[in-house]
This record gives sequence, C-alpha cells and structure tokens, in this order.
Amino acid sequence: MKKLTLISVPITVALLAYTSYLALIVAPTEQTMGDVQRIFYYHVPSGWVAGLCFFINFVASALYLWKRSPASDALAAASAEVGVVFCAVLLITGPLWARPVWGIWWTWDARLTTTLVLWLIYVSYLVLRRFAAGGQTQVLAAAFAIFGFADVPIVYMSIRWFRTQHPSPVMGGGENSGLAPAMLHVFLINLVAFTVLGILFVWLRYQLQMQEQALESAHAQLALKGVSR
Amino acid sequence: MNPITFLKAAYIVAWVVYLGYLGRILLRMKRVEEEMKELQHNGSHSSRQ
Repeated sequence: MKKLTLISVPITVALLAYTSYLALIVAPTEQTMGDVQRIFYYHVPSGWVAGLCFFINFVASALYLWKRSPASDALAAASAEVGVVFCAVLLITGPLWARPVWGIWWTWDARLTTTLVLWLIYVSYLVLRRFAAGGQTQVLAAAFAIFGFADVPIVYMSIRWFRTQHPSPVMGGGENSGLAPAMLHVFLINLVAFTVLGILFVWLRYQLQMQEQALESAHAQLALKGVSR
Repeated sequence: MNPITFLKAAYIVAWVVYLGYLGRILLRMKRVEEEMKELQHNGSHSSRQ
C-alpha cells in the first residue's frame, strides 16, 4: 500500500503541474475576458470533482444504512471531506474570476448561493461526525448525507432553471454553447487530471479513516484488557 | 488591479489548498501508523507480564 502511495502521489502532482502548463501557456486566450478566463480550467474541474465526491458520499451513506459496514462509513466520511476541499477551491476561484469580469466578488444569485449552501451542508456533516456523541453518529450522518445530496442536482440545474449572473452552461447549454477545440482539449485533460486527484484524495483519506477505526478498536481492546485484569 | 493578479491568485490558492490537504492526509497517516505500532508494542509488552 505504501509503495502505491509513493508512486501515485508524485505522478498525480506531475499530472496536475502539466495541466497547469496547458491551461496557462498552451490554451488560447479567450477574446472577451482575456487571460483571466484561464481560471475556468481549475474552477470547473474543481466543481465537477466536488459533485462526484458528494455523489460517492450519497451512495456510501445509503450502503451504510443498508449494510452497516464500517467500510461504507469510512468511504462516506472520506468522500465528504474531499468534496468539501474541492468545493472550497470552487468557492474561492469563483470570486477571483468574478471580480475582474463582473466587477464584484459575490452576488446572491441561484448558482452561487446554492453552491455555498452545498458547502455548508457538507461542512455541517463533517462537524456532526466529529462532535456528535453516542453510538448513533454514523447512522445520523448517513441520513443527513442522503438529504444533503438533494442540493447537488439543484446546484447543477440552477443555471438552467433561473436567470443568473453566473454564465449559462458552457457545454450542453444549447445552440450557442460550446468551447473552441483547442480550449476543449485542454479542459478535458484538466478534467481528467482533477478527477485522478480527487480519486487519489478519497483513496488516501479512506485508508486513513480505516486506520483510525482500527486504532480506536485497538485502544478499546487494550482498555478492556486492563479492566478485566 | 491587473486581471493577471486574479489569475495568479486563483492558481496559487488552488495549489496551496490541494498540496496542503495532501500533506495533511499523509502526515495523519504517518501519525496513526506510529501510534498503532506503539500500541501493538505496549500490548505485547503488557501481555507478557
């Protein structure tokens, strides 16, 4: 396992560095926004990975409620935390792009507000897991996660359902949507690299969660031994 | 402010957050591994007594 970590971490970081080179140097400059549009190559993939992580969390939480397996619970915890990290980057890079283009850092439009609510839902989920007392924490967290996931499709559809300050979908948004082939190529490579990074994070975080669970039970066993003596 | 400043800031923030998070996970893994080893060592030591 250690060997795999030692190989996968530098490969993923190198892949991410290569995608930064593609996004900053190789991709053509957008005509209206200029160079600042290059934030797109980090902003959108971060959002995609956050959504993917929250979906994994949803499936793992449902599985936990059904089978009560500690592995499902560990996967749910891992994917939620990674999702929060990617969603945080989405929420930071968004205003950094908005300020020079819209002239404002933030506006309470449907896409931005539902994304902020999404981030807050999963931060609450992590807080619940961290601080709830009693033996039902995992069950509560799983139920919370299933309802919390309802915001993901709302975030996705918000720019289709409402007229927002946020731009319409770049892809799949109708006749006038789409990217120039050179931009699309860079975007897809970034999307793949960010997905690999997200999977690596979830996998590492899952390993950590399982190790922590093992450590906790080892502590409990040792304490029981002490009591029985 | 120059728009390039915002571009640089966005990329730097993303790299700092992602690398920082990766470092945090790896550090925690190392700590848990060490604690587990210590616990196993203590456990085997106490069972011998």
